[in-house]
Amino acid sequence: MNFTNDFGFPILSVVVLLPSVGALILAALRGKRDLARLFALGWSVLVFAASIPLLVSFNRASADMQFHEFVNWIPAWGVQYRLALDGISLWLVMLTTFMTPLAIWSAWNVEENLPAFMMLILLQETGMLGVFVAQDLFLFYVFWEFTLIPMYFLIGMWGGKRRRYATIKFFLYTFAASVFMLVGIIVLGLLNYRYLSTNGGNTNEAFNLQSLMLNLPNFGLSALSLKLLFLAFFVAFAVKVPLWPVHTWLPDAHVEAPTAGSVILAAVLLKMGAYGMIRFNVQLFPQVASEWARPIAVLAVIGIIYGAVLAFAQTDIKKLVAYSSVSHMGFIVLGIFALNPVGLGGSVLQMVNHGLSTGALFLLVGMIYERKHTRELAAYGGLWRVVPIFVFFLLFATMSSVGLPGLNGFVGEFTVMLGAFNSKLGWTITAVAAVGVILAAVYLLKMFQGVASGPLNERLNGDLLDLTRREVAILLPIFAVSLLIGLYSPYFFRAMEPSVQALSAFVSNAAPLLAGR
Amino acid sequence: MQDFIWLVPLLPLLGVIINTIRGTLAVRQRHTAAHVGDHGHADHGHHDHHNAARIPGWIASAMVIGAFVLTLATFFSLLGQPARTAAGENGRFFDVTYWSWMAVGNFSVPFGFLIDQLSIVMMLLVTGVGSLIHIYAIGYMSHDQRPTRFFVYLNLFIVAMLMLVMGNNFLMLFLGWEGVGLCSFLLIGFWFEQRDPPWASTKAFVVNRIGDFGLLMAMFAIWTLTRDVQGNPLHSLMFREVLAEQHVQTLQFTQTAFLGSQYTAAGAIALMLLLGVTGKSAQIPLFVWLPDAMAGPTPVSALIHAATMVTAGVYLIIRTHAIFQLSPSVMNFAAGLGAATAFVAATIAIGQYDIKKVLAFSTVSQLGYMVAAVAMGGYVAGLFHLLTHGIFKALLFLGSGAVIHGFGDEQDMRKMGGLKSKMPRTFWTYLIGTLALAGIFPLAGFWSKDEIIGYAYDNDHRLLAVVLIISSMLTAFYMARQVTMVFLGEQRDTSIHAHESAPIMIWPLILLAIGAVVAGLINLPGLHSLETWLAPVLNEPVAEPAEFHLGLAGLTLVLALASGWLGYYYYSRNARRIKANERDPLYRWGGDFYTILEDKWGFDSAYDLAIVKPYKAIAGFANRIFDARIIDGIVNGAGWVVNQASRGLRVLQSGYVRSYALMFLIGVIAVLGYFVLR
Repeated sequence: MNFTNDFGFPILSVVVLLPSVGALILAALRGKRDLARLFALGWSVLVFAASIPLLVSFNRASADMQFHEFVNWIPAWGVQYRLALDGISLWLVMLTTFMTPLAIWSAWNVEENLPAFMMLILLQETGMLGVFVAQDLFLFYVFWEFTLIPMYFLIGMWGGKRRRYATIKFFLYTFAASVFMLVGIIVLGLLNYRYLSTNGGNTNEAFNLQSLMLNLPNFGLSALSLKLLFLAFFVAFAVKVPLWPVHTWLPDAHVEAPTAGSVILAAVLLKMGAYGMIRFNVQLFPQVASEWARPIAVLAVIGIIYGAVLAFAQTDIKKLVAYSSVSHMGFIVLGIFALNPVGLGGSVLQMVNHGLSTGALFLLVGMIYERKHTRELAAYGGLWRVVPIFVFFLLFATMSSVGLPGLNGFVGEFTVMLGAFNSKLGWTITAVAAVGVILAAVYLLKMFQGVASGPLNERLNGDLLDLTRREVAILLPIFAVSLLIGLYSPYFFRAMEPSVQALSAFVSNAAPLLAGR
Repeated sequence: MQDFIWLVPLLPLLGVIINTIRGTLAVRQRHTAAHVGDHGHADHGHHDHHNAARIPGWIASAMVIGAFVLTLATFFSLLGQPARTAAGENGRFFDVTYWSWMAVGNFSVPFGFLIDQLSIVMMLLVTGVGSLIHIYAIGYMSHDQRPTRFFVYLNLFIVAMLMLVMGNNFLMLFLGWEGVGLCSFLLIGFWFEQRDPPWASTKAFVVNRIGDFGLLMAMFAIWTLTRDVQGNPLHSLMFREVLAEQHVQTLQFTQTAFLGSQYTAAGAIALMLLLGVTGKSAQIPLFVWLPDAMAGPTPVSALIHAATMVTAGVYLIIRTHAIFQLSPSVMNFAAGLGAATAFVAATIAIGQYDIKKVLAFSTVSQLGYMVAAVAMGGYVAGLFHLLTHGIFKALLFLGSGAVIHGFGDEQDMRKMGGLKSKMPRTFWTYLIGTLALAGIFPLAGFWSKDEIIGYAYDNDHRLLAVVLIISSMLTAFYMARQVTMVFLGEQRDTSIHAHESAPIMIWPLILLAIGAVVAGLINLPGLHSLETWLAPVLNEPVAEPAEFHLGLAGLTLVLALASGWLGYYYYSRNARRIKANERDPLYRWGGDFYTILEDKWGFDSAYDLAIVKPYKAIAGFANRIFDARIIDGIVNGAGWVVNQASRGLRVLQSGYVRSYALMFLIGVIAVLGYFVLR
């Protein structure tokens, strides 16, 4: 394998594949519940540790892809195994390796077949990491589809009462949408293969993203073809994000998913869609992205408002948080299609922020569910008196999600909206998005007050136990990072700055769409 | 002091941390012990418990007192500097930056402080009045179950409020702005077991968020539209860059059309800032949260909902006056809004029976005075009233707290009466506060209120001057009504044992009462110390003090005295008609008009009808019908069609996943085939 880094070994492959190795070892630990969970936690921490060198030795001055690793895979088609990352992928990789151990630790008390549960989460981690670092479109697709499988089983086997409906819907929705992307990928790969072979290029790299970025303008595609290809990718990503109106799989999947599954789903899986929009829609079709920025931004702000209204209507806490994701992910898409460094950078940071704060909310919902086996808001109230530490963390997560300045959520939301205001999207769309900030307070405080305040139902909740040390230890790292981002975001922005600058410049310098072929 | 200014907010932050750690350890211990009583003021008489309960209060107070001393030192060091540099610029300020808070693309904002004449005055008020209220609260909260948590919130509030007034850019201000909102939320809902506080705290947060929307939009526009002298975007949110005269001027040249009218960018931004002001400083139409905020403990009402936080909007206008001045129409609108608020709230105060609600509406009304003053361009007059009001309204709230505390936690004035003899010290200090608020010579309120009315009169806002004079008559009336109902005559509900409060609560009252007498000194006609002090920061070449109109001041005073006497006379004469759960004697005269006042002019029910209920209905519809039936219906329909189709093919066994795998396969083959055969 060829690789370019100073470590002396292909570090990205190691980070990506390490969780799967752990999954294999777990297969040998069947039936040994305590050992298996300890191993899974230790192993996922190891993966996190293995990813830290990426953060440390990442060249923050460069916009290029770093840590290239590749080997020819299917030379006849021009498919390679090729990994690399830039400042945008970097934070998503870190988010994944950071959240996975916490999700695993939160699943400490899974009763049924715990080793298999942990195995699936580790497999899921490999899939997600692969998505964020794959530089070959075919490989990307393989990882992309692969992420469906562990999640399918996580929800299907450890889920709630309506898990069958939810898994089918989840699978059906995302799989069907991905087919369009597959078509797009194959078309692009074949076109590039033909282009490379007629122009004496290296046909091994037909599916290479960089090669495509370079050559796509020379394929002579009509505006219509470009738009169709753009759509093929966009549909897949929009469903994953999820963008309004293709969001309805999300609440069902979240409600039925076990806590750890929800955490992974919200914290990382949704980000794959937004990441894909940046990596493929914007990077490969800058002109289309620019031309369609406004309609897409309109869908995004509809999602912001719609998600907020729907979240308010929920009585199930988990469903409320799920709809809040629809609203928050709208900000991320809005920032992307501002297409300037502030919006793009804010959007990438907001992906991390949403992962942290919504991840924390799902963890907290899971912790209380584990105690009382209900997620109905009406079953709670007044918990501040019996479980003050739980409520403290709930308040923290709520405020982070509400976008309180000083915490992480605000930095992302503010930069996204500032970017949108200063782009050609203009102030009207930004204003609607900002209304979402008001509505966020409405539904999140409804949830918080419903749980924490009001009279305590002594009979139901009088004997509720506060968070254990394990649970506090799961939440504390999230809150430490939330505070760090909230008060010192340049550390996080700096690494992605060259990448978003270059991307934004790439979009504004892109040649206009051809009128026809 | 420049090098140590960070200590000012750090001290209360330290208080937050220490008390949080102490509280967390206590929670851990209590887990093993049994639970104590249920309600806020449950267990009287456990002296050990009380002494332990006072420790967090003393820690918190010490931190705020420390911050006050440091602020005072900073003030004197600023005083030692020349007011103007040789170039004629402001000589008394320093701008310190600690670290880069946010930076991406061409956007960057530091974490830093700007200490100038304006912020130091606000800091003195926050830490000074804050200290007294903290000390008072030690006594007030000594019977409470959760004093530690209370003082954590209270200290955190001081930190946030300091951020608000010390920040050197818009985002720092916003950090404090939302931070005080959070603390306000936590403290209003402090007694979370009860029915009203949680609802009131949510209402406060959400209504304030509507104002924050304005502030957000204003910041986006300022950052995007301000240009430098060469005409390039400035892309800054720093006060000293954006608000510098040569830069802020450029906001006049960009135009925006909205709802058929043209606005300059400056006008639109000023309007958005004003929205923020109406939220935080409780102006029409967003004032509705403040009266409900009285559900919080009384020291909170004094500190947050009278003296400091609610004046943030007035501070914001003064800070950004360079933008407001570019848009006379928005300024006139704001002045009208302020005067209308002053009047409407003063009328509502007459119709309230809850001792704190009267003060709450009085605060709304007085905030209206301040907003009107600064919106007319009378920045000094507005700030002067902000300061004096901060002192005497804190005094009144703390006094009402002493009454509530000493009257069995009862807040209904109809049950009170005759408390003068039971709590004489509370009465006398309360009376001083009342006279100051009513604008009686020579107390603080007389000077500051008169300066506002005089300013309006001088600057062709005659109508506003009239409205403000009428409001000041109403002020004297409702305060006389309150004092008469609470302190004079006979105690109506004799089942309650009334007693004077402990010295730790009385001493802050006395100190504040002294302040309420002498605070007028800071800007007496003829001296104009505050005017002179602020002139450099207001970009005025020389101080142009408002003229003192003896006739106008005399007229206002006479009218206030007359209506105050009327209030006293009417409620003394009709004392026996005042009964618990029965309507005010004034109802006989006012009839339905009085009902409107009791009903707070119907704002709450109007919002309920126009916003809250429709929003709930829409959300319910979207949830039950639109999302579940229509959007999901299409999706499930598509799934059904595909399923039927695959069943029809009978190539593989039916089932969603399999049929999709099939579809996947067919798709791949079709595409590959297309490219192979073409």
